[in-house]
Amino acid sequence: MERTIIFCMLFFFSSTVLAAASHRAVKYRQILLVIEKLEHAVKDKDVEWLHTPENPVEGCVDTALSCFKNGTLQLQPLNSQVNATFTKAIRVFRKYTIRSPGKQCESSCESYKKKPPKEFLTSFAKLIQKLLKNEYSAQQS
Amino acid sequence: MAALATFLVPVLLLCGPDPCPAAAHSQPEVKCVLFNEEYMNCTWGSRETLKANYSLYYWYRNTSNKVECKHYWQDQDIRVGCYFNQNEIIQFQPFHVLLKASMGGSTLEISKRMELQDLVKPDAPVNLTIHNMSNNQLQLTWATTYPKAKCLEHAVKYKSNKDTDWMEISVNGDVFSLPSVDYKKFYTFYVRSKVNKYCGRTQLWSEWSVPVVWGSNSTSKGTVHWLWIHTVLIPIASCLILLVLVILLVRMERVWVILMPRIPNPSKNFDELFITHNGNFQEWAGVPKDVVESFKPNYSENICYVSELPPKDSYEPLWESSNPPPSVMPSASPAPGEHSPYKNSYGRV
Repeated sequence: MERTIIFCMLFFFSSTVLAAASHRAVKYRQILLVIEKLEHAVKDKDVEWLHTPENPVEGCVDTALSCFKNGTLQLQPLNSQVNATFTKAIRVFRKYTIRSPGKQCESSCESYKKKPPKEFLTSFAKLIQKLLKNEYSAQQS
Repeated sequence: MAALATFLVPVLLLCGPDPCPAAAHSQPEVKCVLFNEEYMNCTWGSRETLKANYSLYYWYRNTSNKVECKHYWQDQDIRVGCYFNQNEIIQFQPFHVLLKASMGGSTLEISKRMELQDLVKPDAPVNLTIHNMSNNQLQLTWATTYPKAKCLEHAVKYKSNKDTDWMEISVNGDVFSLPSVDYKKFYTFYVRSKVNKYCGRTQLWSEWSVPVVWGSNSTSKGTVHWLWIHTVLIPIASCLILLVLVILLVRMERVWVILMPRIPNPSKNFDELFITHNGNFQEWAGVPKDVVESFKPNYSENICYVSELPPKDSYEPLWESSNPPPSVMPSASPAPGEHSPYKNSYGRV
């Protein structure tokens, strides 16, 4: 009886992990699509530059993600025509939940250089692509 | 003159007395391609365009040490590229290269920053397989040697033997369905891959795969068969049949008679008339003798010659002339007492 319970627990645990992994991949793809749309809808000139994490080391990825999330909320639309697209995109970032950053990361958002919005989005996309590629790599193995 | 001098002085200072490494040629540019994430080649020219000695150094953003290339590509003692193995490749970190070109005493340095995840070129797809589905549908599947298959997007190129242009369709998964196919046509399929936008920003497509074909090539096969039938089989068969017929004609009189009937010769039927009865029709026909006798005349007739008299003006009554009419030439004068049917009409017009 105990063995059955243990096997069932293992089964449900692995199902949960797999579902979470695939959910993460789906979320990353969604974020990339939103970034692609935002790149053409965001105001790049005469706006405040944003702290842009570059190549965060292992252990600082979640911190970098939360920096990016906070930065997207400060973006401004290019004109009134793209307001609807812009609002939808920002809603996606608002709903995106990031794991609480680990205490071992010494870099804060302010430690990263400030860059214009379009470069900020390019770096954000690069980080998400890296995470997605790692996700696929883990799924394959 | 002063302007020319102003222009020439910096050039001469840069190059010095020795030839300038890049003066005669355009500045070489370093181009890197990451092949299937297994190895990378960075090249900066070819033997024809390069004249100097080249050295490549590279480093990543987080490292401060410049590392020289360990495996150079050489073309007749000129370094034209550098080979990086998998351990030397880190994606998603800025990759910096520094190319030093030295010729004589002068050195030229060219630096470049790259993102290696945007320079990936996957290998061509392999194991292309076609499956026959229901409703005249074809399904094409393939495999890839790229380590992260989900990072790839694909393009399928196909056409039939009746089409002139290729159809190119983008596919996100690793299955392509062709909804309706013609079983009489012959289809050829190619597939290629590229890293999709979720894993990089590359524009490098892989090479086209080895093709896979489906369908009947009956048009070409049919043409060959038809030609063979027309030019060889039919003539030979015709000749054989003709030969058989000729033999039959010669050997079998019954067939010959049917094809070439005899010209009727009725003379045989009249052999008896001409040979036995010597042309005597009545005898051959079996006419009775008394009927034959009845047709023989029992009187004799004299021939009476009749001629036309001259016109009235020159007419002289014949009775008044003692001379007998010159035109009258009776062969025999009838006896006075003998009745002549022609007497009343003698000499009269």
